[in-house]
Amino acid sequence: MGPIELLHMSVFSQRFSPCGRFLAAGNNYGEIALFSLTAALSPEATNLSQKPVLTFTAHEGPVYSLLSTDSQLLSAGNGEISCWNWSDLIKRNPKAIWTRRPNYKTSLEIPEINAMALSPKDNSLIVGGGDNNIYIMDLESGVFKSVLEGHSDYIHCLTVREREGEILSGGEDGAVRIWDSRTAQPVHCIEVYKYQECARPQLGRWISCLTTDSDWLLCGGGPSLSLWHLRSMSPTSVFPISGCQRQAMFYQDMILSTGEGPYLYHSLLGGKVKAQIPCTSPSLNTLALNVHPSEPRVLTLGGSSDHIDVFTNLSYRAFSLCF
Amino acid sequence: MGAVTDDEVIRKRLLIDGDGAGDDRRINVLLKSFIKWSNSTSTPEEGNIQYQRMLGTLSQCDFSMGKTLLVYDMNLKEMENYEKIYKDIEQNISTAHDKIAECKKEIQRAKRIRKNRQEYDALAKVIQQHPDRHETMKQLEALDKELQQLSRIKDNVEDKLELRKKQFHVLLSTIQELQQTLEIDEKSETDDTQESSMESGD
Repeated sequence: MGPIELLHMSVFSQRFSPCGRFLAAGNNYGEIALFSLTAALSPEATNLSQKPVLTFTAHEGPVYSLLSTDSQLLSAGNGEISCWNWSDLIKRNPKAIWTRRPNYKTSLEIPEINAMALSPKDNSLIVGGGDNNIYIMDLESGVFKSVLEGHSDYIHCLTVREREGEILSGGEDGAVRIWDSRTAQPVHCIEVYKYQECARPQLGRWISCLTTDSDWLLCGGGPSLSLWHLRSMSPTSVFPISGCQRQAMFYQDMILSTGEGPYLYHSLLGGKVKAQIPCTSPSLNTLALNVHPSEPRVLTLGGSSDHIDVFTNLSYRAFSLCF
Repeated sequence: MGAVTDDEVIRKRLLIDGDGAGDDRRINVLLKSFIKWSNSTSTPEEGNIQYQRMLGTLSQCDFSMGKTLLVYDMNLKEMENYEKIYKDIEQNISTAHDKIAECKKEIQRAKRIRKNRQEYDALAKVIQQHPDRHETMKQLEALDKELQQLSRIKDNVEDKLELRKKQFHVLLSTIQELQQTLEIDEKSETDDTQESSMESGD
């Protein structure tokens, strides 16, 4: 990796391993790097321990999305999904167990896969990407069970509402659609840009971040980051964050969000932004929190640089891992 | 075994009084002077003086031995004291650990409560935007009353209309009957006059 390539690198996705000791990060060159957190956090960490223990090329195009199950890492890039065993990766043996591709209608151009989500109830993988459709695949058999069509533009983000068994998807067309996962039918459609308090027409209507807490939904992107109550389908708080948020997460009693602008925002559910913490990358794409019970709680942020910031205390940056 | 203990003894003795100044030297001097005194052939006065000197050194040795015994006792007591303090501190540490764990649990609970409170606040904000239920109920009741009144008026008007229609109907039908009876009468009159003219013409 020459210095120019490092300069142009963007980290698009990250996931922690099921044991909580390793972090996998995917970048725009199609590579996945595995970092050892125990080495980086140990008292005798050196500069070398902040480099990856393994870097391998997973896809031809950028790795936009990573997902981790109990023993496997799923990565998605240019239209295909590959599966890797965590135990193989920890032993530095990157060999894909399988690589599958949803049955795209057009065979001319292969749409990229932007988001993946896992539905543990029926052990299925949900992918959404550039061809405006959401594909549901059964993880055991590998068969693509159903297609959810309805978005009029490509899909940015997916999340699953486990209690009700629903899939939520947000896309470039500004609509957050709620689908029932068993019957594969659309249940609701929320067009966020139509609500005065959230809409920011000067930035657009696209929704790039979606996360849910079963009763509450956080969505943002072009419109401001807003908290919605799903039962009444009404926006309850709007967060005054100027950049377009790309990833948000509920954590204990606050909301962590990142996006455009080199900051991690801590906000309260009432709509107040409590803290704005600077990070190294000029714009952040992905946020990952390690909630493994026996490993130290660590938050990592990656974005449009080759550095991944590691926060051991959620309020400040401890150090950075680099590719 | 014998060699080890000898070494230990030598080491201990060197540690305690290696340089020869002090108690060891005093005992050696005492012994030498005792031997010299018992073999001396000098005057009894000098012998007495030497005897007194020896008693002095002996009492000095006694004194220093007493001192070291007291120091030893003191050390033992200090050790006990330190043991006690050590145990106290250990206990404090473990209670502090327990308190920390409790406080951590408390913090988790408090965070959950705070999250719930914020959720309620957020919902309350939305609810406030909608109009009050009592007001809406009152409005509904008023509208209901108006509706009832209007329907009563409508019924009244309809009844009146029916009545007038029926009256007109009765009026018109009686007029028609009268007309018909008049016509019949006229016809019967003309029939009568025709008959009577026909009869008179015969």
